[in-house]
Amino acid sequence: MTGAKDRMREKKMKNQPRNVIYTSSGRGAGRGQGSQACGWVRGHQPGGHGYSQDLPKYITASYFAKARAAEVNAMLKAVSKPAGSCHIFNALPKHMRRRAMSHNTKRLPIRLQEGAQRLAERSQRAPEKEKKQLPRSRSRRARRRHGNLLLEFNRRQRKNKWLETHIWHAKRFHMQKTWSYCLPLKPTAKSFRASYRAMNTHALLQDLSYFCCLELQGSEEQMLRALARLTSKQAGPTFAAASCLSGARQGSVHLYKADQFPQGSLGPADFLWRPRVPEASDRQLWIWIHPALKQDALSELQLVCQCSEAVSVSEESPAAVELPAGRKRKRDEDDAEQPSERLLGDGTRPPGAPVRWQSPDTGITISDLTMEIVRYRLIGPLAHVVLTDTLQPASEEPCSGVSLHQQQTDIFQLLRGVCSTAELPAGCVLGLTVDDPRLTLPQKRGKSVPDLQQSAEDDRVRDLTLKGVAAHCSQSALWDTSARERVTHSRLSEQELNRMRSELLVPGSRLSAARQAAVPLLLVHQGGRVRGEERLHWGSGWDLLLPKGWGMAFWVPLVYRGVRVGGLHMSVKHSQLMGKPHFPHDYPDCPAGVRFQSEQEAELLEKFKRRPPSKRTNYIKHGCLAPFRCPWQQLTEEWEELVNLSAETASCCRTGPSDFTVLRSLKALRQLSAWSRPSSRRNSSPLTHATAAALQQECGPSLVWVRLRLLGKGQPALHAMVCVPTTSDLQLLLKDAHSSGPQEPRHKDHLKHLRQHKTGPEEPARAVRGVCPAPLPSVLSHCSRLTLGWVTQGDFSLAAGCGEALAFISVSGLLHTILQQPQEQRGLVLLRNPSSLQYRFAHISIDV
Amino acid sequence: MVRFKSRYLLCEVCVPDRSSLQLLEDRSIYNTLRAAVKRAHGDYGSALFNIGVIVKYLNAHTGVVLIRSRKKHYRLIWSALSFITCLENRGQMVQCFLNCLHVGGTIRTCQKFLVKYNRQQLHRMLPDCKTDAEKQEVRRAILSCSLSNVRDEEADEDGSDDDDDDDKET
Repeated sequence: MTGAKDRMREKKMKNQPRNVIYTSSGRGAGRGQGSQACGWVRGHQPGGHGYSQDLPKYITASYFAKARAAEVNAMLKAVSKPAGSCHIFNALPKHMRRRAMSHNTKRLPIRLQEGAQRLAERSQRAPEKEKKQLPRSRSRRARRRHGNLLLEFNRRQRKNKWLETHIWHAKRFHMQKTWSYCLPLKPTAKSFRASYRAMNTHALLQDLSYFCCLELQGSEEQMLRALARLTSKQAGPTFAAASCLSGARQGSVHLYKADQFPQGSLGPADFLWRPRVPEASDRQLWIWIHPALKQDALSELQLVCQCSEAVSVSEESPAAVELPAGRKRKRDEDDAEQPSERLLGDGTRPPGAPVRWQSPDTGITISDLTMEIVRYRLIGPLAHVVLTDTLQPASEEPCSGVSLHQQQTDIFQLLRGVCSTAELPAGCVLGLTVDDPRLTLPQKRGKSVPDLQQSAEDDRVRDLTLKGVAAHCSQSALWDTSARERVTHSRLSEQELNRMRSELLVPGSRLSAARQAAVPLLLVHQGGRVRGEERLHWGSGWDLLLPKGWGMAFWVPLVYRGVRVGGLHMSVKHSQLMGKPHFPHDYPDCPAGVRFQSEQEAELLEKFKRRPPSKRTNYIKHGCLAPFRCPWQQLTEEWEELVNLSAETASCCRTGPSDFTVLRSLKALRQLSAWSRPSSRRNSSPLTHATAAALQQECGPSLVWVRLRLLGKGQPALHAMVCVPTTSDLQLLLKDAHSSGPQEPRHKDHLKHLRQHKTGPEEPARAVRGVCPAPLPSVLSHCSRLTLGWVTQGDFSLAAGCGEALAFISVSGLLHTILQQPQEQRGLVLLRNPSSLQYRFAHISIDV
Repeated sequence: MVRFKSRYLLCEVCVPDRSSLQLLEDRSIYNTLRAAVKRAHGDYGSALFNIGVIVKYLNAHTGVVLIRSRKKHYRLIWSALSFITCLENRGQMVQCFLNCLHVGGTIRTCQKFLVKYNRQQLHRMLPDCKTDAEKQEVRRAILSCSLSNVRDEEADEDGSDDDDDDDKET
């Protein structure tokens, strides 16, 4: 080891004199000089002209004498003290030294034997002293005892929150640490097609407890007034939508910063109202948001509801007693120690962080319910069958609402008669109280199959599918904090359950339900694909909301019913196949989306740089300016310039380049959708230059989310370019419907010449070979076809059977394109992957 | 066991003007010596210089330089010493010549020689002093570096408790 070698060397050389020179730092003074060097200046001379000042004017004999004397002393010291050698063995002349003097002291003359013995003792003692300083780690057995493991897990959760099902996932999934959570990414087994099949025909299970829940409590008018500032009616139904307000349906909404529609978009959110209770006037609202969005949304809500005072503080988690290292098990049983408990809820929150905010003016209370409620999502047409198999409504009546429980149970039984989850209206909510599902855990894992017998109550099933669940049946005890706490604490531990099982008379028979083990939960239906015309209601499913602590109790019985489990990767694919933008991948105008894009760019660039330079794709030669990050702002600005409505814009010119937005106004989207279809159906407002210009004025510089479907071959990749076809391209397609499309001529790599001519990398920021350096040239006209936009999700779609891509394109670009296309071929564009020169024909559709 | 043997050349830098001595640095001596060897012995000489030559010790106040080289080639280096007429340091040229005092096999022998030589010099200086103050200084200097002084220091400090010195050259 270098450290030890250096130390030995220093020890040996410590008596040697150093160079004596005049330097500006004055460190030239040798070790042996000590007090002799009184006349010489030491230390740093900031003046810089040190030399002339340091030297005495006249070199006199005294000065010379002093120098000589000092040198002599230094030399003597070096000479007389032998470097690093033991004086005992060196005191002997060479002819009296023997080979084994070190360990056999009798070979030394008697006068030296004492000293040698002392030395030997000292060397024996030294390693003991060193060993004691090392921390003694516990044995593996002690470390893996249950209590100690729990403490270890609690400690690890302080940085990244763990879901309740973390350990189950960690054994079977690749995990990813993002958004201060540790989340399952994808299974370790190869199961992409199997998961797709499960989503398509059976059921797929996901743990979505990482979504943050914010609860608002207060009077309805106050809340609606405050929340109306955060949303806009143009983008769709808001918090005040009639069906959602009663509590019968879950709604989804897009949040904006207060009063800033259409700029300042924050992200999507789901919300759920509590059904009206006849006595109380206050209402409760739950808003579910993605964790990347939580801080922004929370601050906006606080601003809008004027809640800035924190009311209650989160309690300290029960301090687990630290077991001292090395204690034996037997001794533990004698002391009555409190067993360490598993951390439930949010572990990263420091005890003392505010959890609830109240406003004196509006009377609204905001509470942060992160990790208080567990959320599982079942996707697939047989999700309801899995639920009806796993859950058993509570056999005994709970204290409140006898008839309500009966009604809820009836509706739950009706679910069996439904053929597919997609038949129910999107977003309906059912509250339920169930027994512990671990009691009815099957002995072997199986796959739940639908009940093929026709249910007797056909009418009631039809009612259910047409109208959904009535508002009063969506009530559940899950909304009360006290009920949740009680249920969490009254959960039977696995140990007790196993003990009960072992005490059964007949092994394998059903366990009797405990007295107070009725768990309140909420079943929320998720509509699948609701926009567009193809594959409607694909990907619908049920969400299961549970109180915290009951996560694993429900997870294992669900898995035993034969569902596939998916991670983050599968949820992205789910959104992609439904045609919905996935947060935060597909939200370039939201701050969380921008952050995600820079992280993604860094990741992709890192991966790119890892390959050797000659094996990388040369994006410059392929004419791809943005393989890692899409410059949306530049694109919208250039399109605005190009679609040069000079007369109109001059009158209402904007002062500066405004930020781009994503078009979410439903009216504009419908209009665009109608115009980009090739059919020559009679439209309410036919497409002309004037109407197009009007629409463009209304929208401003914006992007629109489109779905592209390739006509023939081709698999779109991430950040593929969507381009405008020329008239010759369209004629090519007319002549031959199966033509593969034009090709882009290869570009020249101008940086290559620069690299060859320069002698060495002199510029501080070395350009990565193959990627265009930072100030990008015109994004629009760099290639032979004008760029409309870029693809954010692209893949071969197993559902559609051809390549499908989801992209953002500029609105002005789209209007410019379809104005120039003939009626039958409207909505045709070209698609090109960043690592290829081949354009493919694709069809645009805007789903509304 | 094969051992690298070196020779240490103890030289003194003689300048007409004492004050210009102070600009000495080990790097400047090294570079000047390399140039001189190259001039005198060509490519062969400069290649040999690269191998084993290093300036081990330098004292700017007294002008003592200790140069180390391989035993095979020390005569080559020694001969080149006499060709040095000026030292260059930071753009300033100092007229000097290098006077070789002693050639030793180890640093320790050179140090022992240097002790003796310095004492001789001090003794020679005493009759040459002009003023009384100077004489006092010189006497004090002589006394301070006498052997008894050093022996007292030795007795105070404890012997080191390390292992035996190894065979390698320091």
